Amino acid sequence: MSTTGIVLIEEHAQRVKPPRMLAVPFFFGNALGEADDAEYQHKVLQHTFDLLDRNEGPVLESLPDDMIPDILMQGSETTNESQEKGLNAADELTALRAYYEQWTKAHKDRTSVGLSKIPQRRFRAIVRFFEDYINGEASDMKERPAEFTVPQFIRYCVDDIKAFYYEARMVQRPDGADREIHEWFWSESTMGGLLMALAQRMRDDEDAQVQAIAYGIAR
Amino acid sequence: MPKLSVLSEIQRKSMQMFPCVEHDDTPWTPMAKKLSESKVALVTSAGLHLRTDKPFNHSGDSSFRVIPRSSKAGDILQSHASIGFDHTGIYRDLNVTFPIDRLQELVDQNKIGSLSDNYYSFMGALRDVTEVIEKTGPEVAKRLKDEGVDVVLLTPT
Repeated sequence: MSTTGIVLIEEHAQRVKPPRMLAVPFFFGNALGEADDAEYQHKVLQHTFDLLDRNEGPVLESLPDDMIPDILMQGSETTNESQEKGLNAADELTALRAYYEQWTKAHKDRTSVGLSKIPQRRFRAIVRFFEDYINGEASDMKERPAEFTVPQFIRYCVDDIKAFYYEARMVQRPDGADREIHEWFWSESTMGGLLMALAQRMRDDEDAQVQAIAYGIAR
Repeated sequence: MPKLSVLSEIQRKSMQMFPCVEHDDTPWTPMAKKLSESKVALVTSAGLHLRTDKPFNHSGDSSFRVIPRSSKAGDILQSHASIGFDHTGIYRDLNVTFPIDRLQELVDQNKIGSLSDNYYSFMGALRDVTEVIEKTGPEVAKRLKDEGVDVVLLTPT
């Protein structure tokens, strides 16, 4: 079999030396460039498949494009002001539900929510779960599959909550740039503040596995 | 990614220090036939899987998941360990990482001969790929060969 592929970090391909790789200038999460831009994605694929015509390798070529994408904002780059306003994460989540359901309807039920297996209409229970955990109580959910540890289950719940919020926000702001969605989530939403507090609680834990999960929740 | 030289020092060092497996040479399989006559498979390190599958764990998971070509975007979830990337793209459009629709369009345009019945997904950003090299990678390669795949397209996230 012949292989060809896309690499995001050209320097890594120089070290690994795979047979054929196209280095692209996009940040993680966007290997083919732009979401919802089939023409551009085909351009990237065309360059990737063109590498199959080379006679010897390793082949490492760059996509001829000077595009410099926007850098992802992290939660720690901002101050979340929701706590000062006395807002409630569970109520905020409920208020977004109609927007989220519009997203699923418009996308033929395609949603990135689903890792925790908790139905989105039960997400208020996840908020209580997080709040109890932050407060140091022995917190768990009866829906947690036995095969997942509590910290791992927290991560899946967090990924579901983020997907729910982002998909709802993309309905509210269909023309909003990705960076604006990140800024809203981490700076303004009560949930963003709650997740930062959750991550801090896990970073302070003595268990290395819990600390590692914290890194994947917010930083 | 943009060239490491334009990133912040922290980002640049993080990428430079990542424990890649370094090789002195490259396995090379020339194309046996034209792409328009080849069967193509898609393999990704994006941590994707079917909604009904067990998610990847975030403790160096070297396993793989089978994603049938007949799967719709709504059937597929991502449980990637890294938070260091922007998920909004894949929330909007799975093809930005896992171009299932684009590949089918290339078949429809007769630019690709055919597609394999199954695609495969691993977890990316693994710091120890020993098990992938020795066990799960060869297992996927065997499955691809058994299916008569000629070309494998590799995508990251």
